[in-house]
Amino acid sequence: MLKAEKLFKTYRRHAVQVRVLTGLELEVRTGEFLSIVGASGSGKSTLLHLLGTLDAPDSGTISLDGKRIDNLPARERDLLRNKTFGYIFQFYHLLPELNTLDNVLMPAYIAHSTTGWWKSRAKWRARAEELLKKVGLGHRLKHRPRELSGGEMQRAAVARALLAHPRVLLADEPTGNLDAETGGEIVRLLRDLNREEGVTIVMVTHNLDIVHATDRVVRMVGGTVTEDSRSFQPRPHLAAI
Amino acid sequence: MYKLLLCLRYLQTRYLAFICIVSVMLGVATLIVVNAVMSGFSTKLKDRLHGVLSDIVIDTDRIEGMFVFAKNAEDDRRPLLTADQICKMIEDSPAGDRIEAVSPTIEVFAILQFPFRGQTQTKPVRLIGIDPVRRAAVGGFSEYLVRQRGLPNPSFDLSPDALLQHDWNKRRQQREDELMNQPEPPGVIRIPDPNAPAPIPAPRMDLDKGMPEAKLSGVIPGYTLAHLRYRNLAGDVMEEVALSPGDAVTITTIGGANIRPVWGSFLVTDYIKTEMSEYDQSFVYVPLDQLQKIRGMDGRCTAIQIRLKNYDQDKAFVTAELKKLFGESDIRIATWEENQGPLLAAIDVERGILNLLLFMIVGVAGFSILAIFTMIVSEKYRDIGILKSLGASSGGVMSIFLGYGLLLGTVGCGFGTVLGLWITYRINTIEKFLTEVTGVAVFPRDVYYFKDIPTNIDPMNVLLVNLGAIAIATVFSILPSYRAARLHPVRALRFE
Repeated sequence: MLKAEKLFKTYRRHAVQVRVLTGLELEVRTGEFLSIVGASGSGKSTLLHLLGTLDAPDSGTISLDGKRIDNLPARERDLLRNKTFGYIFQFYHLLPELNTLDNVLMPAYIAHSTTGWWKSRAKWRARAEELLKKVGLGHRLKHRPRELSGGEMQRAAVARALLAHPRVLLADEPTGNLDAETGGEIVRLLRDLNREEGVTIVMVTHNLDIVHATDRVVRMVGGTVTEDSRSFQPRPHLAAI
Repeated sequence: MYKLLLCLRYLQTRYLAFICIVSVMLGVATLIVVNAVMSGFSTKLKDRLHGVLSDIVIDTDRIEGMFVFAKNAEDDRRPLLTADQICKMIEDSPAGDRIEAVSPTIEVFAILQFPFRGQTQTKPVRLIGIDPVRRAAVGGFSEYLVRQRGLPNPSFDLSPDALLQHDWNKRRQQREDELMNQPEPPGVIRIPDPNAPAPIPAPRMDLDKGMPEAKLSGVIPGYTLAHLRYRNLAGDVMEEVALSPGDAVTITTIGGANIRPVWGSFLVTDYIKTEMSEYDQSFVYVPLDQLQKIRGMDGRCTAIQIRLKNYDQDKAFVTAELKKLFGESDIRIATWEENQGPLLAAIDVERGILNLLLFMIVGVAGFSILAIFTMIVSEKYRDIGILKSLGASSGGVMSIFLGYGLLLGTVGCGFGTVLGLWITYRINTIEKFLTEVTGVAVFPRDVYYFKDIPTNIDPMNVLLVNLGAIAIATVFSILPSYRAARLHPVRALRFE
């Protein structure tokens, strides 16, 4: 479904060059819950940004259903991010001025003009409320992000990512800022969504404790995939968690 | 939809935006108030100018008056037309149908003299000889008279109280003369001082032996000429009557075939109060026939005042017809606006410059928007990254901040317009309050001769101020908006 071939990405700042991705190859299959693990600086987040068209590779290709998406015009990339991909970030990234419901509705606000929104607002509101109920925030619709706990904010972010029925959910360290118990809840929520709604999930994490919930695990080292799930084994002392 | 939503939310939640709104509001309010006051002064001045001046003036620089000859081709000895004949010629011309009234006048410089506090006051004046009824028909005369205000047939006749005053003045003068001419009492021996300077004769009205005795010819001086204004020790403006109705004045001007000084005595019958200080302190009206007689003008005049039935519609046609009628001569034909052209142009230029300078206030507000927007965009780096990750386009992000600038400008203009209009409507109350609080007269009425600060709100002007301010607010938000739009989503998401 989502395929990255020979991806190279280098960040430059003045004379300093940091090679982040070095010929990375990866294929994500439809309906798969894939986790990408690796040490800090291994290129996990960069890969996620490239897969989600937030950034462009220096060379190599990324394709979705066989169609290249790394070289699309800006407008088409915006549409992909709005309708096909859903993002979950480590720091939740909710808009502080909006309440939970409006934050969740943001992809729909972006997709519609003002007049178009008034025609379909009832449908979207129902969808947003349904998702918020699903993630356990049905009673927090009018609360601002600052009034929510970390776990609640992340659940709101999950609901936002799912609003437009995305085909691929890209989660960048979704539990990185949460305690183990809350992080476990989020991962269970993602796993349920993957199984019940068939959403393809690519999750980046450096927390090996949560990868047991995913279908497939790949390890990145030095900007390339070094291990995939068949050969990958969690460390024995963590396996029981 | 997200652009509108975020614009409104940013407006409600960003307190920095309040500073932008206040900046725009104060700029707009100031512009509206200053424009209204300037326009009020300008309108009032124009009204007064036009009120005093007739629609069209025909005049000549020749001090002897107009020399217009009858148009009679068969006779080489064409007779010189009198003022009344010139007026008849004008009324019979093609322009006559559009003329409401015609009045011949003589305008000449003169010196006004009258006794006040034991001394002879001497003032340079503009002496105007008029037929009061015809001048009133032209307009700008009887409505400014103090004692005969609005009368259709004003006159130079003395009212009963003026006659009494004149009689009392005469008897007082006689008594003073008797006292001055009393013989020395018997037994008084005066020792002459050989070193004493020759005695200076006391100032008297009859400066020249040829001075005719005051006859019952009326004069209407400007209000300020007849009333002395001064400040007392407490700083209050006081007004003292220098010339009462019935008081005698002597007017000296030039006239005759050889242009020599001529004079006449007149009795004050009324005052003219136009509230134009220049006119009130220089205009002196006397009967036309009397002035013609003193100056030896043989029924001639120096100017003809014309009032049109419809000034705006007919001024061009009538002016053109009159120019045809008088042909090539030293006679000048001009509308009141042309005569006052430099003054009216100066008012417009002054207003334009003031507007330009005041618009800089809104420019300053624009720079505050630029600074504050730059700060807001920096604060919103992460939000911009979130929006872009959710599919917002760069143009959309730019629209949020441009719309925000537009919204701030519009809200600021709205409040500014309300504040500006409120201040304009309450300006006299505010002025009185400020004067009471500070003890300093903000609007000294004796300077302007206006009872209140005049204001005139021009809706078009208010609209232009608003549009200008909104445009400035939007233009100054372009740069920060562009920066926001150019922001790379990944860098924005990583921004701490």
